[in-house]
Amino acid sequence: MPFLREPLLPGPSDQDPDQDRPSQSLDADRLDRLVGAVARERDRTAFAALFRHFAPKILHYCLKLGADRSTAEELVQDVMLTVWLKAGSFDPAQATVGTWVFTIARNRRIDRLRKEMRPAPDPADPAMTPQSHATPEESAQLVQSSRHLQEAIGSLAANQSEVLRRSYFLEQTHEEIAEDTEMPLGTVKTRLRLALGHLKRSLGDKA
Amino acid sequence: MTLPLHHPDDQLLIGYASGQERAGKSLLVATHLAYCPDCRLRVASYEALCGSWFEELRCDDHDSLGGLDALLDRMDGLLAAGRAPAEAKPSRPAPAAPTGGRLVPEPLRSWLPEAIDTPTDDGSWREISTGVWLSGWERTLSGTTICLLRMASGAPVPAHHHTADELLLVLQGAFSDEYGSYALGDVAQYVADTDHHAQGASEEDCICLFLLDGELIFLDAEGNPA
Repeated sequence: MPFLREPLLPGPSDQDPDQDRPSQSLDADRLDRLVGAVARERDRTAFAALFRHFAPKILHYCLKLGADRSTAEELVQDVMLTVWLKAGSFDPAQATVGTWVFTIARNRRIDRLRKEMRPAPDPADPAMTPQSHATPEESAQLVQSSRHLQEAIGSLAANQSEVLRRSYFLEQTHEEIAEDTEMPLGTVKTRLRLALGHLKRSLGDKA
Repeated sequence: MTLPLHHPDDQLLIGYASGQERAGKSLLVATHLAYCPDCRLRVASYEALCGSWFEELRCDDHDSLGGLDALLDRMDGLLAAGRAPAEAKPSRPAPAAPTGGRLVPEPLRSWLPEAIDTPTDDGSWREISTGVWLSGWERTLSGTTICLLRMASGAPVPAHHHTADELLLVLQGAFSDEYGSYALGDVAQYVADTDHHAQGASEEDCICLFLLDGELIFLDAEGNPA
């Protein structure tokens, strides 16, 4: 069955150019349902909607991280094929669809662009310490520390979040950030230090 | 069961979550995660942050978007075939049977040639001072040197100087230094040019994963490079 044709590009229509294209404004619930439809019913229309939503983001991400156009397109195909094949393993309780797709894109581009493997724990490994091994006290601490970090992330100053994003997500050097944002190098470093300090304080009295 | 008390710093955790951190330190972080439910949650929070940045990406290059339309059509056949792309799955050796202590968790276990607590006189360890050994096994991953450090109870690691970051992850036993004591799953992180004095602090030998970015120079009694 061919895909229903719905071009990625808005036509030369009377659409408000500032308005997000519908494909980019799918809300979290809708994305959950689309992944569910792909997992349960192998629904290609749902897949096409996910593709229209995520493919431009994956492409942009890979280009930003140094892929050439054809490699970036191969990565888009790779990531979206993984979405198709692994939709059944997506757990909305663990992460949003956007975060799940990000982790797939991250792993693929490390593999492809850096030719490195990404070490990760194996949840099926009997030697892994399950969360259930925590004492009640430790469990309470876990929940609290996770909440504190969420709050810290949510309360990051916008300009600190931006240097964090550029440094870790776009992997820019301090110099590249300074050049792109026309900030003095010292300001970039200060904001990064402040951002990390803000996140670290959420650890509280933990070492 | 006591969970780890000493964790990798947030720079390492967010770097691991975003994919910015390279393979060497990621191996240590990932192995710590196997011991530490707390840091697993922390990494999940940082992945969610990266996920939100990913969702904000906008691609305005119309040429690229046009290419994606064609790509979606081309994928039709792939979806029907439903085959996974050839995934580079490293062939995993069977878990090395531990001779005594706990099994080292993944992902480190697959990297190790054998159980970590082999006898110190079987040729797989190199004694650098009384009661302190480095493993013969050594790997370099993305510029980071990786091996095992072993300390007998009370044996101090000889004075050394390191020009870049040094990281330890406890895989068996415990050790202590002037900053605290470290047990199973704990991470000790030392920045370049700092002094620290680790020594074994458990009845059994303490065995750690040892990561070093730069050169390690042991010092003689006068504090000069040996």
